[in-house]
Amino acid sequence: MALVQQPTSAANLLALLEEDDDSLRLYALQALDRVVHDFWFQIASAITSVEAFYDDEDFIHRELAALVASKVFYHLGELNDALTYALGAGALFDTNEQSEYVQTILSSCIDRYVEMRRAEAEGREAVVVDQRLTVIVERLFSRCFTDGQFEQAVGIALETRRLDKLEEAVHRSPDTVGILTYALRVSQDLVVSREFRFEVLRLLIKLYESVESPDWVSICQCLMFLDDAAEVAKILERLLKGSEDDALLAYQVCFDLFENEQQAFSLQVWSLLEHAAPRLPQAAPDAAAHAADAGAADAALPAPAAPPAPTGATSAGFTGVPAGAAPAAAAAQLDAASEPTGGPEAAGLPAGGPAGAAAAAAADSNGRGAEPMDTDGLATLAVVAHLSPEEHAQAERWSKLHGIITGVTPISLYLEFLSSHNHADRQILKNMKAVVEVRNSVCHSAVIFANAVMHAGTTVDAFLRESMDWLTRATNWAKFSATAGLGVIHRGHLAQGRNLMAPYLPPSASGSPYSEGGALYALGLIHTNHGQAIRGFLLESLRSTSHEVTQHGACLGLGLAALGTGDEEVFEDLKGVLYTDSAVAGEAAGLALGLLCVGSASDKAGELLAYAHDTQHEKIIRGVALGLAFIMYAREEGAETLVEQMTRDQDPILRFGGMYVIGLAYRGTANNAAVQKLLHFAVADVSDDVRRAAVLCLGFVLMGVPEQCPRIVALLAESYNPHLRYGAAMAVGVACAGTGMRAATDLLEPLLSDAVDFVRQGALIASALVLMQQPEAKVAALRKRVERVVGDKHEEAMARMGAIMAAGLLDAGGRNATPALRSHSGYFRRTSVVALALFTQYWYWYPLSYCISLALQPAALIGLNGDLRLPAFSVVCKCKPSLFAYPPPVTQEAAAAAAKVPTAVLSTSVRARDKAKKKEKKKAEATADAPVDAPAAMETDDSAAAAGPKEGGAGDGGAAARASANGVGTSANGARTKEAPEEPASCRVDNPGRVVPAQERFVELDPAARWVPIKPQRAAAGILVLKDRRPGEPVELVSAAAAPAPVVQQTPAPAPAPTAAPAAPARGAPPSRNTDDEVPPPEPFEYTPP
Amino acid sequence: MAKLAEAAKGFDQFKAAVARNDLSTAKRLLTTLKLKLTELAAPPPVYERTPTSQQELLLAREVLEQAVLLSVRLQDEAAFERNFMQLKTYYTDSRSLLPASKAEALTTGLNLMRLLVQNRIAEFHTELEVLPAEAHASRDVQHAELLERWLMEGAYNKVLAARDSMPDPAYAYLMERLLTTVREEIAGCSERAYDSLSVADARKLMLFASDQEATAFAEERGWEVKGGRVFFTGMEASTDAAELPSKELISHALTYARELERIV
Repeated sequence: MALVQQPTSAANLLALLEEDDDSLRLYALQALDRVVHDFWFQIASAITSVEAFYDDEDFIHRELAALVASKVFYHLGELNDALTYALGAGALFDTNEQSEYVQTILSSCIDRYVEMRRAEAEGREAVVVDQRLTVIVERLFSRCFTDGQFEQAVGIALETRRLDKLEEAVHRSPDTVGILTYALRVSQDLVVSREFRFEVLRLLIKLYESVESPDWVSICQCLMFLDDAAEVAKILERLLKGSEDDALLAYQVCFDLFENEQQAFSLQVWSLLEHAAPRLPQAAPDAAAHAADAGAADAALPAPAAPPAPTGATSAGFTGVPAGAAPAAAAAQLDAASEPTGGPEAAGLPAGGPAGAAAAAAADSNGRGAEPMDTDGLATLAVVAHLSPEEHAQAERWSKLHGIITGVTPISLYLEFLSSHNHADRQILKNMKAVVEVRNSVCHSAVIFANAVMHAGTTVDAFLRESMDWLTRATNWAKFSATAGLGVIHRGHLAQGRNLMAPYLPPSASGSPYSEGGALYALGLIHTNHGQAIRGFLLESLRSTSHEVTQHGACLGLGLAALGTGDEEVFEDLKGVLYTDSAVAGEAAGLALGLLCVGSASDKAGELLAYAHDTQHEKIIRGVALGLAFIMYAREEGAETLVEQMTRDQDPILRFGGMYVIGLAYRGTANNAAVQKLLHFAVADVSDDVRRAAVLCLGFVLMGVPEQCPRIVALLAESYNPHLRYGAAMAVGVACAGTGMRAATDLLEPLLSDAVDFVRQGALIASALVLMQQPEAKVAALRKRVERVVGDKHEEAMARMGAIMAAGLLDAGGRNATPALRSHSGYFRRTSVVALALFTQYWYWYPLSYCISLALQPAALIGLNGDLRLPAFSVVCKCKPSLFAYPPPVTQEAAAAAAKVPTAVLSTSVRARDKAKKKEKKKAEATADAPVDAPAAMETDDSAAAAGPKEGGAGDGGAAARASANGVGTSANGARTKEAPEEPASCRVDNPGRVVPAQERFVELDPAARWVPIKPQRAAAGILVLKDRRPGEPVELVSAAAAPAPVVQQTPAPAPAPTAAPAAPARGAPPSRNTDDEVPPPEPFEYTPP
Repeated sequence: MAKLAEAAKGFDQFKAAVARNDLSTAKRLLTTLKLKLTELAAPPPVYERTPTSQQELLLAREVLEQAVLLSVRLQDEAAFERNFMQLKTYYTDSRSLLPASKAEALTTGLNLMRLLVQNRIAEFHTELEVLPAEAHASRDVQHAELLERWLMEGAYNKVLAARDSMPDPAYAYLMERLLTTVREEIAGCSERAYDSLSVADARKLMLFASDQEATAFAEERGWEVKGGRVFFTGMEASTDAAELPSKELISHALTYARELERIV
C-alpha cells in the first residue's frame, strides 16, 4: 500500500477538528494522531482546541485528544505537560512502543514517580502519588521482569523506593547472587537518602542470607554500615565453627572490616565474640584467655618498655606493673603485654612468664600477625597441655580472628610490607635540604614533613639521623612537628612505637614541652585505629601536664588514638581541657572531641557549638567548628540542622566550619543540594576563608565521583579571587587523589604557574595528591617542576613549601602508598577521609599536615594462608613491568649536569665566560656540602648504589637485592644485562607484592594455581586470604629474606619452644641488611641559640 | 467501491438540494457527505493507492468546493474557512494527481477576498505567495490583488467601484462585507483626523447612501450626533506611550553591576 503522496500540512485536519460533528472530530483526531510527529508545529498553534476536547467531560474520545496533546507537548519540550496528558490518555498510551516519544515520556514518568515517592517518604508535605503513575511504573516493572532486565528493575526499584519490587527482582532473577551484588553496589552509589539506604541494606542482608552460599564479606560490610555488631559477631561465630574454608572466609571478612577503619565497631564485634569464644575447659581457663590476650598485644595494656633512656624507669613506675615483671619484658625488648590484672598472674606462673616473654620476643622479631597465635599455642600448651586437638584448633582460630579484627595482624603485615619495600629516594631529600636555606623555617619544616611522609610507615628514620645538626634548627612548633614526624615514620609500629618515642615523651630529659607534645601527637599517629593500648598512657599524660603545648599534643594524640570510639572518660577529659579556654590547648581539644565522636552525630554537638560562641579565641572556635564537622561525618540529612545553624552564623569561622560540616556529612555522595549550597557560599560569602573552604569541601562531597569534580570547579579555578583558585585546586586534589585523572591534571596545570604564591602551593600539593602512584610517565613532568620550584631561590616561600610537600607526597610511604579514600570493597574509609580533612587544615596549623599519613594505604597485595602466613604465591600482571615500576632514583650526576648548563649558554664572549666562571665558582661553594654527602649516601642507600650506573633500565632500583621482593623479578634481572631485552608484556607479582591502584585491573589470578583466594570475586589487592587446593603438600612459605622484618633487634630472638614447632622454620633470623638502618632512635635534640 | 458510489449518490442529493436553494438540507447533507468521505482511503491524509483513488479524490475535491460555495451562500465565514482549509490540500499536495479543477480559481479568489474582508493582510500575502504561477493569471486572483492594492493605497472609491466588476456573483456577499471593512477603516481614520464632521461629509466620506445610515452608523460607533454634526467623542487621545521609568532603570542597572562584581 504505497503512499501516493506525503501530506505537507495538517491544516485540513485541524479545520476538520472545528466541525460540529463528533464523528468528524474523531476522524480528525485519529488522523492527527497519525501525523502528529510530522506536523506538531501546526497542531501546536491549535493546541487549545485539542486541550478543550480533553477537558470536555462529555466528549467520548477525550483520551485520544489527550494522546495527541501529549505528543505535541513532547515535541514542544514541555515534558511535564506531555506526561500529564499521557497519563490522561490512559490505555491509549502504549508503554511497549519503542518510539522515542514513549521512551521519553516513560522516563519522565519514572522521574515524576521517584520525586513523588521521595516526597511521600520524607513526609514534608502530604503527597498523594498519582495512581495512574503507579500503574505505569508497575507495568514497566513487569516488562523488565519478562525481558530479563533485572538490573534495570533493581535500579528503578531503588530510585522509586519500591522495596517490594526490589525483592521481587531478586527472587525472579536467575542469577540471585549477581543481582544482589549489583543491588549492593548501586545502593551505595545511587541511594541518596541515608535512611532509605539503611532500609535497602537491611533488606539485602535478609535476601543475602536466604541464598545458598551467601557472600559473607558483603553482608558483614552491610551490617557494619547498619552498625549491627551483634549480627556480624553471630556470622563470624558461625563461620569459625564451620569448616576450614569457612574459617578462612571469616578471616577475610575481618580483614575487610578492618580495612573500613571503624575501630569502635571492630572492638564491639570482638567484645561480643569474646563471650562466645570457646572457654577452654578446666585448668585455668583464665590463663588460657589471658594467653590469647597476651599474644595479641593490643587489648592488653603494654607493659612499659624497658627503655634505653633512663627516664623509662619512671614510666615503668606509673603503669603500676610490679618490678619483677619488668626484667622479663626488658629481656624480650618489649611490650609483649599483659592485662593489668594479668601482670601479677603472669609473674606468678613459672611457665607462663618466660613463655610469654619468649613469644613476645618472637613477635617483635618479625612483627607478623602469625606470632600471636604461636604465643597462644605456646602458653596454652605450657599451661593446659591436656586440651584435645579439636579444641586447640578452635582456640587458635579465635585468637587469629582476634588478631585480625583488632588490627594487629593487618597493621603489622602492612608495616612489614612498607618497611621491606621502601623505595624512598633519600637523594631527593638531600637535594632539597641542600637548596633550602635553614633560616627559612617554613621550608625547613616542609622538608621535615616531606621526609616524614616519604618514609611514612617504613620505620626508616635514617635521614633524620644523618642530619641531626640540621634538624636542631627546628624550634618551638617546628620541633613539635618534627617530633610528630617520627610518629608518621613509625606509623603502625604498635610493638615499639612507645619505645621509640620514649626519649621525647614527658617527662623527658630535655623537658621541652614542644617535643613532648609532638611525641604525644606522634603516639596518636602511630596508634590510629588501634589505640586501646596507648589510650591510658595518653590520658595520663594529658592529666599530668598543665603546659598548653603538651596538652595540645596529648589532645591530638588522644583524638587520633581513640578515633571514633566515643570513649566517655576521654571525652570528659578533653572537654575539661577545652573549658580551660587556653587557645592552643583548646584548639586541639576541639579537634580531638570531634575525632573521638566522629560520625556519631552526638547531641553533644550543641554544647560544643555553644562554647564556640562563648569563647574569644579564634583558634578554639576553629578547632570546635572542625570537630563538629567530624561529628557529623557521613550523617547526610542528619547534619542539616547543624549546617543551618553554622552557615547562618555571624562568625565567619563558624561558617567556615559549616562548610566542612557539609563536606564531611555528605562525603562522597555527590548530593546535589549539598553541592549547590557549597557553590552558593563559594560565590556569595563575604569571607575569603569561608569561600575557600566551600570550594575545597566540594572535593569531599564529590570524592565518590571524581570524574565530575574538575568539571564542577573548573569555573571557580578561573576566578579572580586567589582563595577560590586555591580551593578549586585542593578540591580536585581531594576528590581525585590517586586517580591520575587527565581532567584533574589539566585543570591544575595552569594553576601551577599562577600569579599568587599560595595558589601555586595548593596546585602543587593537589597535583601530587592526584598523581601519587601513577605511572612514572605521567608524573615525570611534575617531579621536574617540583625540583625547579624547590631550587629556585627567588620563588616565594609559600610556593616552595608547597613544592617540598608535593615532593614528599609523590613518594609517600617509600613510594608504596596512595591516599585510599575507599576500601577495596568500595566503601569510604572514615579515617582516611577525616585525615584528609585534617590535612587541609595545614593552612592554619602546619602540624596538622602530618595527618595525611593516616590516609595512606599501602599498595600491597598480600596473600595469607590459613595460618596467616605468606605462602609462595604470585599473580600475573598483564602490563609492561616498567609501567608501574618505581621511578629511577635521582643521581648526584644528574644534579651536576644540570649545574653545567649555564656555562654552555653563556660562552658567547670572554666577559660572559668570565662571569660564568665566577658564577660557577659560587655555585660550587653553595653546594659544597652536597658532594661531601654523596659517598655516604651511596654507601647507606643501597638502592641508589645499585641503580647508579644503570642506564634507564626497565626495572627499579636495587635490582638484585629486591628482585623477588618487589615482584617485577624477571624484568629487574633483565635490566642488569647491558642490552635491555624487549620488555615482556606481563610480569609476575610475588607475595607480598606491590600492586598500585591503577594496576589492579591488570592483575589476574591463576585459577589453577595451588593458592586461590577464598573469595574470588574480590579485587586482587590488599590482604587476600588464600585457600590451599593441595592441602597435603608441604607449604612453601615466603622466605624471611624476601620479606624482611621491619624491626631488628639488638637481642637475638630466643629460639621458640619446641612445642611451637610448626611455626618455627618460617621465622628466620632477621636479615642483616636492616641492621645498619636500625640504630637506636635519635637522641633528643635541643636547640641552643648560637 | 460501494462507499464511493454511496458518496457519489450523497453528493448528487446535495447538489440537488443546493439547486433547490434548500440550504439547510444541503448543510445537513454536507455533514453526512463529509463523514462518508472520511471512510474513503484515497483522500488525505491517508493517500492510499486504491483502484478508484482518482475518482475518490475528484469527488472529495468537488464536494469540498461545493461546500465552500455553500458556506458563502450561507454567509458563514467560519465554515468557509474550515471548508477551504480542507479543500486546499487538494490544490497543493494532490495537485499532481488530479486534473485541474474549474472551480479552483473561484474558490481561491473567494478565499483571498475573505482574508481581505477579515483584514488579515499578512495571511492574504502568504496565500498569494504559495499560489502556483498559473493561478496568478486568473481573473479572480487578479481581482483580489487589485482590491488589496487599492485598500492599501486608501483608494476606497476604486474599491467601491469594483463592486460592479465582480468576476462571479458569488463575490457579492464578500464585496458587501468588504465595504463594511473599508468603512471601518475610514471611520477609524476620521476619528483621529477630525474633531467633528458634518453629517453630510461623513456620509460622503464613509460611502453611505443616506444621512440616516450615516447617523445610525455614528451611533453604533458611539459618536455624538448634534445639530447636523458628528462629534468624535470618547476618543480622548490617551497620552502616548507611558513615561519611561528611567530612575528605576538606572538603579536596576547599578544593582546588576554591583552584583556582577560580587560574583566570582
